Amino acid sequence: MSEAMNASVCDAIREALRMIIDPELGHNIVDLGLIYDVSVEDGGVAHVTMTTTTRGCPASEYLKEAVRNCVWYVPGVEFAEIRLTYEPPWTPEMMSA
Amino acid sequence: MSDATLSKWTMSYFTAACLFLVIGQGMMVSGYGYPFADVGAPATLALVHILAIGWLGLLMVGALLQFVPVLVTASLRGGRLALPALLLLIAGLLLLVGGFAAVAGTEGMAPGMLPFGALFLAIGFGLVTIMLAATLAAARPLPLPARFVAVGLIASSVTILLGGTFTLVLSGAVANDAAIALLLKGVPLHAALGLAGWLTFTAIGVSYRLLPMFMLAPDCTRATSKAVWWTGVAALALVAACVVSIATGSAAVKLPLSLAALLAAVATLFYSADLVRLFRERRRKTVELNIRASYAAFAALFVSVVMFALPVTSSADGEGAAAVVYLFVFGWLTGLGLAQLYKIVPFLTWLECYGPVLGRAAVPRVQDLVEEKRASRWFCLYYGAVAAATFSLFAESPTAFRIALLAQLCATVGLIVELVRARILSSVAAPMPFPAGAPRPRLFLPISRPQE
Repeated sequence: MSEAMNASVCDAIREALRMIIDPELGHNIVDLGLIYDVSVEDGGVAHVTMTTTTRGCPASEYLKEAVRNCVWYVPGVEFAEIRLTYEPPWTPEMMSA
Repeated sequence: MSDATLSKWTMSYFTAACLFLVIGQGMMVSGYGYPFADVGAPATLALVHILAIGWLGLLMVGALLQFVPVLVTASLRGGRLALPALLLLIAGLLLLVGGFAAVAGTEGMAPGMLPFGALFLAIGFGLVTIMLAATLAAARPLPLPARFVAVGLIASSVTILLGGTFTLVLSGAVANDAAIALLLKGVPLHAALGLAGWLTFTAIGVSYRLLPMFMLAPDCTRATSKAVWWTGVAALALVAACVVSIATGSAAVKLPLSLAALLAAVATLFYSADLVRLFRERRRKTVELNIRASYAAFAALFVSVVMFALPVTSSADGEGAAAVVYLFVFGWLTGLGLAQLYKIVPFLTWLECYGPVLGRAAVPRVQDLVEEKRASRWFCLYYGAVAAATFSLFAESPTAFRIALLAQLCATVGLIVELVRARILSSVAAPMPFPAGAPRPRLFLPISRPQE
């Protein structure tokens, strides 16, 4: 895949992730700034680095699994690796909506 | 990475707690216990323990099993002990109440039920302490909210040991001087360690984590928050020292107890300053009902502590002191408990039902599981009734007290119905209630597929 194609898949992943809401805040996780990074390697290997609003939140694993499921079904993605991080910790200033 | 998951038995603890709250308030409405009986009468003691252990204790344990892992970002240790602990606590409480009934002369009951009840309660709370202490110990150094919980656990252990001693004397099993002195002079210390040391100190600690989370306020450790912990610990240490002092035959407890009360008042002032700052610095401008109802409880805490510190009310016997305790128990602890249940129950229900299908189907928000307009009326009625009941105790008007209690009971039942409605997803608009693959939550039994 070309770089342009990888970038296009990244955009598609971000768009797809907008269907996932943070249950407490009710906004999608992209606009909340919970998706720190999205990258796609050749061969359709997608890497997503994400966080949650609160460290230790019981919803964390569900959100991570939801991101994995969502990314997996984006056309052009052959494998999805999701990393949950709290560095840096999320702050409300990261919201874009 | 987060290790915090869903607590399997928390909803069962909450259900049992709500049942005991309704039972306790129903007993009061029917004229059982103080002010219709003496403050030290067995009926009053039975009632107090139904509310303190059955309602507040089970509520707090259920909440801690879910939120201590959140406070320390670690899995709950020994989670399999949660169900045996719940059964032991309920059995212990029923035995204790039966023992008090026996002391009051009820046929078919025996005073020997008292120490057995205390034993069951000690084992039950012991199991809870093992689970929570092991979880905390694995996450050292502890963040400040978790340090509040750790101190609360110590206070609860002392409270239970002291109460256990009382039951041995009341049942006639023990008659040594130290135990008798503790029963004669230590009851207020038992209450202070339980209501302030265990329940209040723990609730304050958890609130330092949950309030920033729900209001999107800065979640940082402030000097005032540390001051709350230090002054609170100093106050509790003084109370614990007084317990030892009474047991060893010393009569010099008045001064240290006055100092403890002063320190508690200072801690409340610092805590109030933190609460105001959190509210002002929140990013979420429109706060939800659970926060608004919690701030009403904080106001009740502040007023009850101020009233306790004022000589005119703190030195008053009978109704004056009872009114302060009533406001503390029902305005602060119960008000906060109901307010937080109004958030935690829908949140846990959402996780159980919609967590597994998140990202695969359209799901509602947690807020879509509740109907705030209706519930806010119940909270208004609840706090209005608590205020009226407090005033009627001051005014020494049992009839007015009973009418206020009836209103309070109605509000409580109304709020519990709202919790049930959230649990059965009755407010969620079609077609979202049950997306394909979403497990249906059970009313109070554990989730079918817990995350261990």
